[in-house]
Amino acid sequence: MIRVRLEPDGKILEFPRLNTVLQLLNRLGLRFNQVLVIRGPELLTRDRRLYAGDELTVRRVTSAG
Amino acid sequence: MKCKSCREPAMVDLPSHNAAFCGPCFLRYFSGQVRAAVKAQAMFGPGERILAALSGGKDSLALANELLEQDCRVSGLFVDLAIPGSSDRARAAVEDFCRARGLDLVVVDLAAEGLAIPEVKRRVRRPVCSVCGKIKRHFFNRAAARGGFEVLATGHNLDDEAARLLANTLRWDGAYLSDQGPLLPAEDGFVRKAKPLYRLTEYETACYCFLKGIEVHDAPCPYSRGATFTSYKRLLDDLEHNSPGSKFAFYDGFLNRGRPAFEAQQAGLGQGLSPCPECGSPTSGDICGVCRIRRLLRGED
Ligand code: SF4
Ligand SMILES: [Zn+2]
Ligand SMILES: [Zn+2]
Repeated sequence: MIRVRLEPDGKILEFPRLNTVLQLLNRLGLRFNQVLVIRGPELLTRDRRLYAGDELTVRRVTSAG
Repeated sequence: MKCKSCREPAMVDLPSHNAAFCGPCFLRYFSGQVRAAVKAQAMFGPGERILAALSGGKDSLALANELLEQDCRVSGLFVDLAIPGSSDRARAAVEDFCRARGLDLVVVDLAAEGLAIPEVKRRVRRPVCSVCGKIKRHFFNRAAARGGFEVLATGHNLDDEAARLLANTLRWDGAYLSDQGPLLPAEDGFVRKAKPLYRLTEYETACYCFLKGIEVHDAPCPYSRGATFTSYKRLLDDLEHNSPGSKFAFYDGFLNRGRPAFEAQQAGLGQGLSPCPECGSPTSGDICGVCRIRRLLRGED
């Protein structure tokens, strides 16, 4: 299972199977430069592999207001 | 993906520059873009005093952090809009940021000025954001002028600037097109204004804040109807997606080849400005727009 926290909304999503960041972005309907994909201290580029047990934060970069 | 400079695993993907960077190399690239902006537009020189308008969001905090690290003489400015549940949190983010870096902070309290934004929203019939923007710009300029700063710097990024340009272009708004840009020279009581992040996208400022560990305030203003220029930003993002680099080329091409034509066309059309009799700010009318709102809120109009 891969856990994804969406910011700023705070919503949590879980995905049973995802291989790459690009797959995750496609599932969320997002482009790579609309969000930061964060795993621990790292920003992940589109091609990075994801692993079972990963906890990710997907943070929108567009400032509102 | 590997870092273009050092071949370590990349953290930031920049197709517009045909590059990807690891954290440290990205931060070097970011500093280089800010230096290039300051130099290309002659925004400020060594020793000049800069007042950076801080909202607590990622762009303005990235700007202030970078100027500090480049040893600029920078102070922060926060305009407290007195919006419940929003302004106090933004203010805390700005105060924490400044305290941690020993950055001087000037605070303007709109409630004390008789211009709390919720009150303005109640009393003024125009959309609150246009009035709020006007009030903020007024106090940015006034704080910079009164504090003896040579330049006011804001965190506008390439996405903001390109979206505004597209909006102005779709309306063929000659007056705006003649002076939109990353540098507005000082004039008639207005201090010089600079946008040192105009070469960087909001994705890049977000990466910068993450990599620098900057805590940003990113809750939207409760009065916001979504980000400004959202639909224009989306159009430009589609363009950029299909043809990387086109967003910057659109904006930079305007600065070099479009704006001069609008400047020539608008030359001499500007209204003369004189100091507002109530607050001294430059205005083309009798009393300035902000003093007029203040009178309205006091019930004098
Ligand atoms: S969203 Fe509107 S009211 Fe809120 S801070 Fe921005 S301009 Fe002001
Ligand atoms: Zn590198
Ligand atoms: Zn006035």
